[in-house]
Amino acid sequence: MDTSSPSAFVNGALLRRYIGQKVRTVIQVIGSDTGSVVGKSTDDLQIVVRGPSTTPPLTTYLEVIGIAESDNSIRAETWTNFGNTFDPQNYNELCKLASGEFKHLFI
Amino acid sequence: MFSSSQFEPNSAFSGGGFMSSQAYESSSSTAKNREFQGLVPVTVKQITECFQSGGEKSGLVINGISLTNVSLVGLVCDKDDSKVTEVRFTLDDGTGRIDCKRWVNETFDAREMESVRDGTYVRLNGHLKTFQGKTQLLVFSVRPIMDFNEVTFHYIECIHFYSQNSESKGQQAGDVTQSVNTTFQGGSNTNQAVPLNPVVSSQNDGNGRKNLDDMILDYLKQPACTARQQGIHIDEIAQQLKIPKNKLEGVIQSLEGDGLIYSTIDEYHFKHVEL
Repeated sequence: MDTSSPSAFVNGALLRRYIGQKVRTVIQVIGSDTGSVVGKSTDDLQIVVRGPSTTPPLTTYLEVIGIAESDNSIRAETWTNFGNTFDPQNYNELCKLASGEFKHLFI
Repeated sequence: MFSSSQFEPNSAFSGGGFMSSQAYESSSSTAKNREFQGLVPVTVKQITECFQSGGEKSGLVINGISLTNVSLVGLVCDKDDSKVTEVRFTLDDGTGRIDCKRWVNETFDAREMESVRDGTYVRLNGHLKTFQGKTQLLVFSVRPIMDFNEVTFHYIECIHFYSQNSESKGQQAGDVTQSVNTTFQGGSNTNQAVPLNPVVSSQNDGNGRKNLDDMILDYLKQPACTARQQGIHIDEIAQQLKIPKNKLEGVIQSLEGDGLIYSTIDEYHFKHVEL
């Protein structure tokens, strides 16, 4: 059992707090390029995700787990298609709770 | 002509009665660890933390509840199905990783595990076990996640479960502060031309009654109130004691359940039970 690489739940605004650390977030895909995806975070800020050079077909929402490089970009280790019917508002509220009052349950 | 108490308090409530409101039940039982046999949503971090604080002998306890069955959501990693009868994998839920084992005895189990691959999000229900110092999850149900709102939901459920149990532990402390406030309010009423005797509850009869109960009982015990055959309406009690009606409702139900007051002409009028 190993809790050495937890990833923090972040939205656009919280990303800057975890620069250099492992984070996870869900973005709404706006556009993609070879090796990077541009998306909108659950709190409507733009986030760029640098990932593996082959980008498989993406659904509307994409979960990205990786290292935060700056306050608006992430270097992805894994990403998972979260489908087209994801509720970003719920996720946004979860990010706030998981980084605030209930942080000790997660990190 | 008519006797002053037309109602038989006992028969009014025979066979029915009210259960004390749940808030009362839980606040009196929070002192001891509760045996909870249901499925608890947790994060891996919560499991590792409680294991460290409890030690092996005590079994796993989170928030004062001893846990056996848990529900987790996360990514499957390192799936190893080299053995025929068991499948092992690691679950990574973003807060940590935990080893999981699933016994595969029936074709149903085998089919269920086929759909689980490395990198899939799954919902797991299983049994926590400690073996040679390591905590493992003996999984009895695995389901790949189709709608990813379930991921958000799971973490929110963990937070909810955690905060509900911390809240009920803290409720005793919360109630003390509430009763202190209401006593103060009760005291300030003495200056008004209202038949309310100063309710400074210095009597602590030691059976765990909180001050709000005493205030209501004391108010209803007054001769002005007992003389009124139709009882006192809950709105009036709320007005006189300067307590919001919604706070009174639960307390009145519990007093009724304990047989100290009874409702009279309708469910909103109450009188003190005179023995």
